[in-house]
Amino acid sequence: MTRIGEKRIHEVRTRGGNKKFRALRLDSGNFSWGTEVCTRKVRVLDVVYNASNNELVRTKTLVKGAIVVVDAHPFKSWYEGHYGVKIGIKKGRVDAAAAAAAPEEEEKKKSSHVLRKLAARGKGRTIEDAIDHQMASGRLYAKITSRPGQSGRCDGAILEGPELAFYLKQLKK
Amino acid sequence: MPRLATNYKECDQHERAYQAQDAIFVARKRSVSAKKVKPMRWVKNVGLGIKTPDAAIEGNYVDKKCPFTGNVSIRGKILKGLVISTKMKRTIVVRRDYLHYITKYRRFEKRHKNIHAHCSPCFAVKEGDIVTIGQCRPLAKTVKFNVVAHEAQRTKTGKKTFRMF
Repeated sequence: MTRIGEKRIHEVRTRGGNKKFRALRLDSGNFSWGTEVCTRKVRVLDVVYNASNNELVRTKTLVKGAIVVVDAHPFKSWYEGHYGVKIGIKKGRVDAAAAAAAPEEEEKKKSSHVLRKLAARGKGRTIEDAIDHQMASGRLYAKITSRPGQSGRCDGAILEGPELAFYLKQLKK
Repeated sequence: MPRLATNYKECDQHERAYQAQDAIFVARKRSVSAKKVKPMRWVKNVGLGIKTPDAAIEGNYVDKKCPFTGNVSIRGKILKGLVISTKMKRTIVVRRDYLHYITKYRRFEKRHKNIHAHCSPCFAVKEGDIVTIGQCRPLAKTVKFNVVAHEAQRTKTGKKTFRMF
């Protein structure tokens, strides 16, 4: 029932006088990146997989457990601000990015305190290959964990690790 | 002494959705220098003096209806019965025999009731086994019980004999 589009939510009076928020159209949600503990409000771009019914993928219906494609830019800019490292650079563009980064850094001088903080955060910092790829294209795979027809919100979590590998394999089929 | 696994072992993914325990963050980064290592499997003590089987702690199956590794609580009646069918997916049919007294003739008659119970993969149940089942919330149209202990039967008494527990 909940499609992608400009936000349209109907309030329903339920048993006991309580409210339910039936989302008919949603375009964004609060998605969290588990391993980095970073949650951002991002736009939902497309529904890509549904374990229960392929029809729901065709009609782009947002339900709990559906795999969607989400805008990566807020996460990318948070990561680059937090660690001071650029991610999601495509292979051909590495030289171009390095050349562009050099003059920029000369403009913004970071204090030694900031540099020390970045170095401490950089220790043990790893990024999954699959997520790096997705950052390059600006789109991340995420799973919806809220119930849009009940709460009126489309919240979820970015797919990572074994779960991401599993769904990438399912998408290939 | 079975110990909870610290390395994540994925279970057989036969379904179209990714099967994992709700309580575990599967993609967690395991830091090299962590002093206290958190386990990668969630198991609970069911209570009422019921021992959680080793297969539940050491196994890597995912069953949300399992009383030890899933989201069901055992409360209410605890019954014992004979297994007569294991053909359903993760659920069994348990037969309970009893005697009903007829006052007019001052005698008994044999009666029985079949109960559908969910059977976790940590129990390898065959027909003819004795099984202890505990009441839980409705898991399906006819399933309101969950297997909580299991006693394999070696002697071939089969499933046709009248046995009261």
